Amino acid sequence: MIRKFLESVGDYCLFLKMVFRKPEKWKIFWKQFVIETDKLILSSIIIVGVISVFIGGVLVIQTASNMSNPMLDRMLVGYMVRETLVLEFCSTVVALILAGKMGSNIASEIGSMRISGQIDAMDMMGVNSAGFLVLPKVMSATFLSPLLMLLSLALGLLGGWAVVEMTDIIPPAKYVTGIKYAYNGFYLFYSGFKMALFCFLISSISAYNGYHATGGSLGVGTSSTKSIVVTSILILLFDLIVTQLMLY
Amino acid sequence: MIKVEHLSKSFGSLQVLKDISIDFLPGKCNMIIGASGSGKTVLLKNLIGLLEPDSGDIWYSGRKLSDMGYEEKSALRQNIGVLFQGSALFDFETVLGNVMFPMNFFTDWTEDQKIERARFCLDRVNVKGADDKYPSELSGGMQKRVGIARAIAMNPDYLFCDEPNSGLDPYTSGLIDKLIHGITEEYAITTVINTHDMNSILEIGDKIDFIHDGSILWEGDRHSILDTGCQELRTFVGANVLARRIIGADK
Repeated sequence: MIRKFLESVGDYCLFLKMVFRKPEKWKIFWKQFVIETDKLILSSIIIVGVISVFIGGVLVIQTASNMSNPMLDRMLVGYMVRETLVLEFCSTVVALILAGKMGSNIASEIGSMRISGQIDAMDMMGVNSAGFLVLPKVMSATFLSPLLMLLSLALGLLGGWAVVEMTDIIPPAKYVTGIKYAYNGFYLFYSGFKMALFCFLISSISAYNGYHATGGSLGVGTSSTKSIVVTSILILLFDLIVTQLMLY
Repeated sequence: MIKVEHLSKSFGSLQVLKDISIDFLPGKCNMIIGASGSGKTVLLKNLIGLLEPDSGDIWYSGRKLSDMGYEEKSALRQNIGVLFQGSALFDFETVLGNVMFPMNFFTDWTEDQKIERARFCLDRVNVKGADDKYPSELSGGMQKRVGIARAIAMNPDYLFCDEPNSGLDPYTSGLIDKLIHGITEEYAITTVINTHDMNSILEIGDKIDFIHDGSILWEGDRHSILDTGCQELRTFVGANVLARRIIGADK
């Protein structure tokens, strides 16, 4: 089992070496980059937005209901909601959602191309199939996903504000004061970095699994499932490592 | 010229190719024939570098494939056209986009020049009015034709076809055979075709290698195949009603 794991890690590294080979033509790379940005990032805005708004609202209610002590200032609800969103939800939880959406999309797309011979056809033309198909996905997911994190944060705070406005849990002014209280810009960088790292893992591992899919449509399904499971576990593992390294 | 010397390939304990040596005729239709599971596709995949042989060598115009680096292999592949069994057209490109695909990577032609060349290749395989269609909108025969157009787009010296007639009706198969043969002669391409279709073999086989259980048992052409003394080949040929009747009539 350990040997198989090490072989997979080695294969993955060799795959990345192929992916990061210089593109045959930069013009083609940028064209693909735009297409992949639309497929992976822009198409994720709705799901990320909806989840963020609702989680923001729920966090306000949960935090307020656990802060019944009159000694605690009610503005701390806003503060805690902001910290929860920026530190964990907007990067880790959103990345776990993207592992399902983005990961299955990449693995099934590349897997289908593998089993239908399209990747072999590209290789036979002398085109670096891994570079053409995977590099734009990895670059787009890695470098543009922090924008999804920022969007998630903004919409999460907005969802919380909407709940505050619609109910009398805490005064809206207190919520606004709370979300501005003790602002630490480094946390935004930390969260954005985590998101970029997680999306690199999602895109590259899903592409690796799709690229090595075997056994027809069943193999495509297996590669898709495997991608989601592996990336979800790695996201949690790297969340722990990065948090330890960057916050302590 | 393509030459194969003592090629062997195994998957685990199963030896699929056993000490195969072939000289393919330049500018002709070379056929590798044999029953399903005899090792034809594995041999073809070794020839085009999609599989690495366990032992033996493959030579392209005096250059050994196994000695080539990434760049040299890439350059060679730009000189090879491949028609895959399932056509392997790119889902994300239109018919025109599929044919233009290799040109986008390996030429500095203007868009108009690429479109002109792609339309020329599509005309050559008799595909008209389908430029903007996607592969899923085409019939099997049309997909094969577009596959051939894409394979010849870069004017290759070598053309490999893996079961070009699979899944096609006899009439369309005949048209595809004539098309491949015509293109081979017209552009002096060295064509290697994997097939078990007797009509194709008798129609266009300039040089035929019969592979059985991973070994080459017979070598000849379409004129001598019906008179073979090789028992395994006779069994293979005799499975076809038409060929059986021809052999019977000859006798």
